[in-house]
Amino acid sequence: MIRENVATSFQETQTYVEPATETRAALVVRGLSKWFGSEQVLDDVSFSLAEGESLVLLGPSGSGKSTTLRLIAGLEAPESGEIFLHGRHIEHLPARERNVGVIFQNYALFPRMTVAENIGFGLRIRGIGKKRRHEVVERLLAMIGLHGQRDKYPAQLSGGQQQRVAIARALAYEPELLLFDESFSALDPKIRVTLRGEIRALLKKLRVPALFITHDQEEAMELGDQVAILNGGRLEQIGTPREVYNNPQTEFVATFVGAANVVEACWRDGHIAIDCTQCPETAASARKMERSKLVFRPEDITLGLPTGLVETPYHLGRGRVVDVSFNGATETLRVQLQQRRQPGALTSVVPARSCGMEADSPCDLVIRVVRSKWDAERLPLAVGAPVSVGLRSYKTLS
Amino acid sequence: MAHNRSNLRHGVDVARPLGIGFILAAMLPLVILPLASIFIFGFSKGPVHFWDALMTPAALFSLRLSLMTSSVATICNVIFGLIAAWVMSKYAFKGSSALMIIISLPTAIPTAVAGFALLLVWGRNGLLGQFLEHTDYQIMFTTAAIILANIFVTFPLAFGVIKPALDNLDTSYEEAAETIGATRWQTFRYVVLPSLRGALVTGALLTFARSIGEFGSTIMVSGNLALKTQTAPLYIFTKFNEGDVEGANAIAAVLAILSFAVFSLILFTRQKLEK
Ligand SMILES: Nc1ncnc2c1ncn2[C@@H]1O[C@H](COP(=O)(O)OP(=O)(O)O)[C@@H](O)[C@H]1O
Ligand SMILES: [Mg+2]
Repeated sequence: MIRENVATSFQETQTYVEPATETRAALVVRGLSKWFGSEQVLDDVSFSLAEGESLVLLGPSGSGKSTTLRLIAGLEAPESGEIFLHGRHIEHLPARERNVGVIFQNYALFPRMTVAENIGFGLRIRGIGKKRRHEVVERLLAMIGLHGQRDKYPAQLSGGQQQRVAIARALAYEPELLLFDESFSALDPKIRVTLRGEIRALLKKLRVPALFITHDQEEAMELGDQVAILNGGRLEQIGTPREVYNNPQTEFVATFVGAANVVEACWRDGHIAIDCTQCPETAASARKMERSKLVFRPEDITLGLPTGLVETPYHLGRGRVVDVSFNGATETLRVQLQQRRQPGALTSVVPARSCGMEADSPCDLVIRVVRSKWDAERLPLAVGAPVSVGLRSYKTLS
Repeated sequence: MAHNRSNLRHGVDVARPLGIGFILAAMLPLVILPLASIFIFGFSKGPVHFWDALMTPAALFSLRLSLMTSSVATICNVIFGLIAAWVMSKYAFKGSSALMIIISLPTAIPTAVAGFALLLVWGRNGLLGQFLEHTDYQIMFTTAAIILANIFVTFPLAFGVIKPALDNLDTSYEEAAETIGATRWQTFRYVVLPSLRGALVTGALLTFARSIGEFGSTIMVSGNLALKTQTAPLYIFTKFNEGDVEGANAIAAVLAILSFAVFSLILFTRQKLEK
């Protein structure tokens, strides 16, 4: 209601490119590249964010997350690429004309302004009168539950309160998009979890599209309708948290989002085999082998007594427990797989039924296993215990 | 924190009273005694005498002139310092470190040299002064000359305080203002300037304090004309030379008190405004 929306409709028709997906998208980023000197920080990054949804950019430190956010906010200029906000080209606009709200990592509340003045700043510089400003500020203060704090200065607030003020300050001028740069990393863990929930609920209520940035995969899963994984300036995968976790497309995604076992694997006789050390270049059978990587989650493993077979679709043979640690709700084990004695033989990932239980010798391959508290109670395992290793599901990476 | 610890450990720590005693013993003849004597002698013949010496037209004029010229120089240098600090802190350009040195140079130059240099520029046959020769305007030996001298010798003081404050100001405040929709001017006016207020006040007080006591350059460019171009420090010097110790002493006492007040203000603003 404050914003002037006159000129945008014309531009929208101009950039009406890909009808079905792109017009419903609040934000479209296409082919974004950025260099700092001779270092390429972003390499052809493309993604889109649907109206009212949230997208989390997840990646390790230095992967270019903040740079992406700053390019969208207009605080840096890209070398190439396009940015559309509600169908309108914005990459050439200065930051103040983009109508994007940024919640900075340190919140960047103006230290010499009170909470109310901070929140009202966007209206004040737009020449909105005192009375109207007051109304909006009071409404936002009520929304973030900081009415009693209106005349305090930022330094007198806790981290969580500062974050809420920063959000209110951005919401005051009704931005078309909210950008959060590592907004939770400075808070202590308990508050972090509560605030995440609150903010997610708030955004859903207001239907403001939001882009979050984090290096914390747990936070990414919780906040994002979509998660985009950035690694070394390249976008590795984008999808719902479920898709990204259950169907990682790259080894990096598999290991960065949640824990994963990644092992070298070969296709042999129509089934996959994993070797303790490496797939042999020339197999004894002289059959051509295709090499790939096998990924499975620690919780995809089921451990059983070494004398019997575990009732899982696949089987990894036998192993020995080398480490056990108690985590509360779960238990984490490291299990060393054992290799069959036959020369050239590989530990096969085979349907459980066809798996024999010949005498094995230990090999280098150690996998990570997570069991629920109840599984751990049913079959207590100590270091050194022999087990049979069942596998519920796996993915192969090319 | 540290002094308590050593006391607890050793019972009596002799280094402490000895150290403090040394400082006081050294300062007594070097600093404390000269300062105290200004007041001891100033009031030795009673406050009436002091008051009379202070209330002569020439004395009052010299004080007013000093206050006025120092204020103008302070305003000029704070404005310059603010702009220069902004430019030097925000923009990287070729030769910026050379410019930095040139800005900082004036206080390093002996004040008599500064005054002499000004004469070479604005004097009758000076670089620029020659163009004023046949006009009604004169710079040298006027109030303007005193102000120019004051500006010259205190030139980088405000800049030197404002620049680091601006460098230390987190750019995310400005970026936040920008994303909220503020123009550059609005960002400067509402976000940057309020954060610099401590530095601005400190810079102004430093400039003023240095400027009000300026002697070397002023005596070269002002001509030291009583009731025309005689500042307070020049008055003290002149009166003393004339043998009027009381006259010199009265103004000296006032200047000392003034400096003390300004200095206290600097300490106060450092604590209050810069947090
Ligand atoms: N202003 C800058 N100048 C030079 N290099 C930069 C600048 N900003 C970021 N970088 C570099 O770009 C890379 C990505 O940084 P950034 O986007 O901040 O990563 P992230 O937020 O994912 O940790 C880093 O290697 C960083 O050193
Ligand atoms: Mg970052």
